[in-house]
Amino acid sequence: MLNLTAYKRQEPHPWSSCLVFLAAVLLSLAVSAILLKLQGKPALQGIELLFRGALGSRWSIEDCLIKAIPIFLCSLGVAIAFRLQIWNIGAEGQFALGAIGATWAALTFPDQPAYLLLPLMAVMAFVAGGLWGLVPALLKLRMRANEIIVTLMLNYIAILLLDYLVYGRWKDPGSFGFPMTKTFSATAIVPKITGTEINWGLGLCLICGMVMWVFFRFTRKGFELKVAGENLNATRYAGLPYEKLVCFVMITSGALAGWAGFIEASATINRLQPSIMVGYGYTAIVVAWLARLNPLTIGIASFLLAALRVGIENLQLELQVPAAFGGIMEGMILLTVLAGSYFNEFGFRLRRRS
Amino acid sequence: MSHDHPLIRLEGLTKKFGPLYANRDITLDIRAGRIKSLLGENGAGKSTLMGMLAGRLRPDGGRILIEGRPRHFSSARDAISEGIGMVYQHFMLVDAMTVAENIFLGHPGGILLQQDAMERQVEALARQVRLEIDPRARIADLSMGEKQRVEILKLLFRRNRVLIFDEPTAVLTPQESKQLFEALREMARQDKAIVFISHKLDEVLDLSDEIAVLRKGEVVADMTADRVQTKEALARLMVGREVILQVDREPVETRQTVLRVRGLNDAPLKDVNLTVRQGEILGLVGVAGNGQKPLVETICGLRAPGTGHVRLMGQNWSRFFRKRRWDGNLSYVPEDRQGLATCRNLSLTENFLLTTRQGFSRGPWLQRPAAEKRLRELIQTFDIHPPDPLSQARQLSGGNLQKMVLAREFFRRPRLIVAEQPTQGLDIAATEDVWGVLLKARSRAGILLVTGDLAEALSLSDRLAVMFDGRIVDTFDADDRAKIDAIGLMMAGVTETARSAIPDA
Repeated sequence: MLNLTAYKRQEPHPWSSCLVFLAAVLLSLAVSAILLKLQGKPALQGIELLFRGALGSRWSIEDCLIKAIPIFLCSLGVAIAFRLQIWNIGAEGQFALGAIGATWAALTFPDQPAYLLLPLMAVMAFVAGGLWGLVPALLKLRMRANEIIVTLMLNYIAILLLDYLVYGRWKDPGSFGFPMTKTFSATAIVPKITGTEINWGLGLCLICGMVMWVFFRFTRKGFELKVAGENLNATRYAGLPYEKLVCFVMITSGALAGWAGFIEASATINRLQPSIMVGYGYTAIVVAWLARLNPLTIGIASFLLAALRVGIENLQLELQVPAAFGGIMEGMILLTVLAGSYFNEFGFRLRRRS
Repeated sequence: MSHDHPLIRLEGLTKKFGPLYANRDITLDIRAGRIKSLLGENGAGKSTLMGMLAGRLRPDGGRILIEGRPRHFSSARDAISEGIGMVYQHFMLVDAMTVAENIFLGHPGGILLQQDAMERQVEALARQVRLEIDPRARIADLSMGEKQRVEILKLLFRRNRVLIFDEPTAVLTPQESKQLFEALREMARQDKAIVFISHKLDEVLDLSDEIAVLRKGEVVADMTADRVQTKEALARLMVGREVILQVDREPVETRQTVLRVRGLNDAPLKDVNLTVRQGEILGLVGVAGNGQKPLVETICGLRAPGTGHVRLMGQNWSRFFRKRRWDGNLSYVPEDRQGLATCRNLSLTENFLLTTRQGFSRGPWLQRPAAEKRLRELIQTFDIHPPDPLSQARQLSGGNLQKMVLAREFFRRPRLIVAEQPTQGLDIAATEDVWGVLLKARSRAGILLVTGDLAEALSLSDRLAVMFDGRIVDTFDADDRAKIDAIGLMMAGVTETARSAIPDA
């Protein structure tokens, strides 16, 4: 009888991670096609619509980039926490707090010029998101509360807080009862890059990505984070301030998600309303894992998952596929890629067994 | 079953790690219905030997015979199917499940679990060997002793014929140890073969039918328990009385006191007093597990001291560790090179920066190129292989990794060095290198050498301190012959005899 046995590879195969990623994406597309078929929709045409919707025109590619901006910022934040093996699932809530912080500035000082108001909004988003991230860090350090659960629960609190504000004190009297704030004044809106629909949040992404790369490569703090994420015993041995590092990553993580909320409220929606919460904070976790916490690959993966969102919108319009289909595909890609990473570490050989 | 053959015979078993023999030509018999103790110091090769028997390690030479037939184990599964089971020091239990569920875990059988039947079976089995336990209790709620019982029941439930216990009493209270021994005797009566690994003399003498002593990977004695004459003789067999290697040990004038421990009480430590001055090596000897680890952790800042005083470089403990400087200070060379002193997935340069990072910082920036340059020089001086700062720590052999740690720690120009088992697992050449480095460092540093290797302690130390049961039993100069002769006894806790050998003690 032939028996398939797995063995651990000494060195990962040089091309395997690329191949595995492609295979995983193809597999998820194939399963998606089957799911479409089961709903009585044309499978191949569906996949084609998906691609055309996301990448078929200049307009759709710009839309992908716009959606990639908040995903990228959240994901960068999540990744910095994950590097320290702090499992911050709370980007969604920190995003909401960032949007709230920026909105407060926009509504309080609507008449200030853009060069004052936009930085103020950014600072408020940074502070609000950062503090929201600091809470689970302190609870973890002081009371040994599990940060996964705390960050997750804080997401719901943050969203309810946002609802409270837009249904209540910040509601625009002229909104005919809709839960939304007034449209921001023109000086509170992040401008678009000339000749495109894309806002300057893209520039912020480039800067943040570069800073993170430099931080991990060239600074002492970055090095200390890398060590502390690698080996907790060695961290104590080397006398590293683990508690401070935890606070630092959670503040940074929350602040980056907060900036995503700021850009989204200011540039994309031009106000605060409940529909700002579309799950970027959760997609960011998927992106961070797919990209293995590397800033450059986070950029690529953010674009791909943003493209998936745009493509699914097209599919919804053309084939009346339910909106949840996008979430299903997102989850499937993550699962297949994670499962596929097994093949990076293990090889197979056939063995004859008597 | 033929009774001419022992249940298991190990014949000429040899295992090498690199150029080092962990086990060399080991021949042992394990018989059904008997308790066999394997006595030896840390690093004597006990775990390697049992690893081969449990199928985790593959022998480089020799063979394992089961009931007279040679067998090859290519995995732990093969050993389990022969009825050989091991109770490790680290329990392998699922915390969230009950006792009964853990015992049935991985057991072939139906898909459906029958809670009641499972619990009844476990209860019956437990009663049979007098290991009382509540099958409905969750593992997370159990004491270490109770968890150990679950591990034992797991093996018995799988009808294991040979049960190997790796230092089982290390995690137990004295009361629990007593219960364990009763259960072991009961299992032996039921014709199981028991292998008991330990370095505690009293336990071994109390429990065993047969005793084998392992030293430096070889069996130095294998006898029935009634042939053991005295505890001291057994201690001597275990510790050995090697010729002290001749080392050039020029006397260095002692200067400033760099470490002073006064009346430190912090279970298991009892009233520990120690002083180390610049210019001397204080050898702290003792059988592992007598308090050396907590003492070292306290001195090196990994564990807060209980009551008593610990002063480093004249500063009290909390002040010293709050504002520690990276150089001219304390260097710690731990026993655990892989888990504590280095990160296996980081490069050598990064591992070098682990404790020297403050020396290679300018503002927020880390000067990696400068660090790499210094490391290249150190790699040359210390002859580290592979000589590549970009290779990862896990690619280095134990000896080279140790040299890497030493190179880094000496680069910090310490005034106090705590070296824990610095030559464990190193070959002769590397050992001599390390010794040379330590002796040279004496010119500017005080060294606390914690070692289980008596020959090493005697060769290097200016003064010796013997530790037993959380206490420093005695401290004396390295040329005090009378006391040196009594070290073996002190290490074995035979203090009365030790005292009588010392006039005016």
